[in-house]
Amino acid sequence: MFSDYAALIVLLPVIAFVLTLFLGKKLYSGGALLPIAAIAGSFIISFGTFLEIYPKDGIVQQSWPWFAGMNIGILIDPLAVVMLMMVSFVSLLIHIYAVGYMSHDHAKPRYFAETSLFTAAMLSVVLSDNILQFFISWELVGLCSFLLIGFWYHKPSAAAAAKKAFLVTRVGDVLFLTGIVLLYVNMSEIIAGRGFTVPEGNFILQFKTMFEAIPLINPTQLTYITLLFFGGAIGKSGQFPLHGWLPDAMEGPTTVSALIHAATMVTAGVYLVARTFPMFAATPSTLSAGVPDSLLIVAYVGGFTALFAATMGLVMNDIKRVLAYSTVSQLGYMMLALGTAGAVVGAQAVGISMFHLISHAFFKALLFLCAGSVIHAVGTNDIREMGGLFGKMKITGTTMFIAALALAGIGIPFINIGTAGFFSKDMIIEKAFEYGELKGDFIPYAFAIIAALLTSIYIFRLWFMAFTGKPRSERHSHESPGVMTRPLMILALFALFFGFAHLGFYDYLNKNFELMTGEKAAPEGESLQMSPIIVLLPVIVGVLGFLISYAIYHKKMLDMSKLVSSENPLYKLLLNRYYEPKIGADIIGVKLTHDVVAQSGEFVDRKIIDGLVIDNIIGNTLFKLGEFVRKLQTGVVQNYASVILLGLGLLIILLRIKFGGT
Amino acid sequence: MSLYTYLLISAIIFAIGAYGIITQRSGIKILMCIELLLNSANLNLVAFSSFNGNATGQVFAIFSIAIAAAEAAIGFAILVALFRVRDTINLDDINILRW
Repeated sequence: MFSDYAALIVLLPVIAFVLTLFLGKKLYSGGALLPIAAIAGSFIISFGTFLEIYPKDGIVQQSWPWFAGMNIGILIDPLAVVMLMMVSFVSLLIHIYAVGYMSHDHAKPRYFAETSLFTAAMLSVVLSDNILQFFISWELVGLCSFLLIGFWYHKPSAAAAAKKAFLVTRVGDVLFLTGIVLLYVNMSEIIAGRGFTVPEGNFILQFKTMFEAIPLINPTQLTYITLLFFGGAIGKSGQFPLHGWLPDAMEGPTTVSALIHAATMVTAGVYLVARTFPMFAATPSTLSAGVPDSLLIVAYVGGFTALFAATMGLVMNDIKRVLAYSTVSQLGYMMLALGTAGAVVGAQAVGISMFHLISHAFFKALLFLCAGSVIHAVGTNDIREMGGLFGKMKITGTTMFIAALALAGIGIPFINIGTAGFFSKDMIIEKAFEYGELKGDFIPYAFAIIAALLTSIYIFRLWFMAFTGKPRSERHSHESPGVMTRPLMILALFALFFGFAHLGFYDYLNKNFELMTGEKAAPEGESLQMSPIIVLLPVIVGVLGFLISYAIYHKKMLDMSKLVSSENPLYKLLLNRYYEPKIGADIIGVKLTHDVVAQSGEFVDRKIIDGLVIDNIIGNTLFKLGEFVRKLQTGVVQNYASVILLGLGLLIILLRIKFGGT
Repeated sequence: MSLYTYLLISAIIFAIGAYGIITQRSGIKILMCIELLLNSANLNLVAFSSFNGNATGQVFAIFSIAIAAAEAAIGFAILVALFRVRDTINLDDINILRW
């Protein structure tokens, strides 16, 4: 019954967007209630659909023809339904929280309208049953991200960050679009040349049709297609080397950071890879034996990003920047899971990655909302100016500590008690180890385990610096109102207890691609007996990181002033973010694009084309002609009216001559 | 009365309107003349519709009247706004968009 109304999942927030934008000013709290109600509706429908399809392993498919063999459609399979519930639920909580957080802002209708549109776009990404609709929604998500990062557009840094986000993700989007075009070309080719037919009632770019066509597509082409798709995912999910926009995106309101740049939008890239996973898994293995090329690259990019971003998270002083690098790093883990686990256990990797995605959504949204609560209270982003907040902000402090535990993956192995991150991240690290054992390549595992240590250090550094010790500045702080703390508590519950759903979750997600194609998924790889030390290691590094941070930032057992200074080249490198903004702006932006490409283009245009040909002959002639013709525009209405009447009369006379009559 | 009578009246009204538009300088008068043009067209529609026994023309006339009302409202609103800014609705004085 709910699944019949699946289209409403997207439409409700769209309606809320329009109404809030135009009527928001007159409504309570800038019209916040409309998006909240609409997204609550989306959540209820998503949850109802889940309850309907879960017991009978069903999927929901609805599709309508659009043009030239394309369609608009809805596909709710296990993969989509868990994403739908997560996106709508987290979005709902963040909207409620925003009522408190944004209460002093003057542009509330615009804020709530844009976040509502964003939610609709993200839900539409998740629901899409074809890659074209996926791409359109993907772009809409990017637009909303641009609008919301630049929400305080009067701040030059916010405007610049919005522009950067737009341009950097655009690089990925172009790759993604190229991938779609290449896929379409290949599909047309196999339809024309190899007798592939699109089944009755299906459409050419539907995921289902794409998966059926995999065996017929030229393997090299398939590698190109999947890598281009992955290029889009790199842009959207902030993977190296397109990660730079995500930390800058923290210029937006904190709720936006929580909603877009932590919980939902940035996961779209991971979702894209998960969604087209059968294509990634079908690419040939030329680089490493038994590992599909595309998965290998996904694993390495993901693993490297996980470590690379974590190192920068260690030294950032802006509370939101630390969390932003943490997000980049965790997204790297998800990619790593898809790559390594994909190589050893096939399509089960999707379940492993998605479980981390969803538990990450809970605790990262929680971390950001806590950060927002702190910023709201203290009025600064700089953790060096905080300190001793725990006494004044007990709820925020506790929930943030829970989120930090979840991010660090603290739990007790063997008896399986722990936070959400414990289950999801340990699984990824274990699979990376299994990958190392089976394929003889331990580099991804090394990335993962070192990043886990750094993760634990930076997040507890943040917590200890903000909440313990003596206040380091004369700022008045207070606990946030109930409308803000209650979402924190709900998310904290999920961050603590969501992990216990892991077995059911993996089972459910494993069926995903069988349900769609009607075939059994790839056979399970041989299960590896792990030595206890490997199982324990992720937790050990997590606890170790906690102790290091405790010793340094709470007990002050080590003097950090030597390390933390501009004398230390490593610290400088990290604090300057590996000079990525400099490389991006100065070298690629100014030197390459402006000085080389644009200047030479200008030279050709002005000196050669204008100078030799156009300007002297065509240009001048047209210019003089224009001088003469513009005198006809007298600006006197009566002249125009006379000419019109004259023209009408002429037309009538001509018609008489042509068609005769009496 | 025959159809030609109606058409003749319509043509006369049209001519008056067209003459007004060309000769007048006041915005209000020009708008009134435009109304004359529209109504002459309406008269044509209704006349043909009545003599051909087909109601479509009358429906069109009603549409046209509704649109004429909207057009007049907008036109007068522009003139009022213009008058506030420039203190005139003499169209000869309003020519800054000329070259």
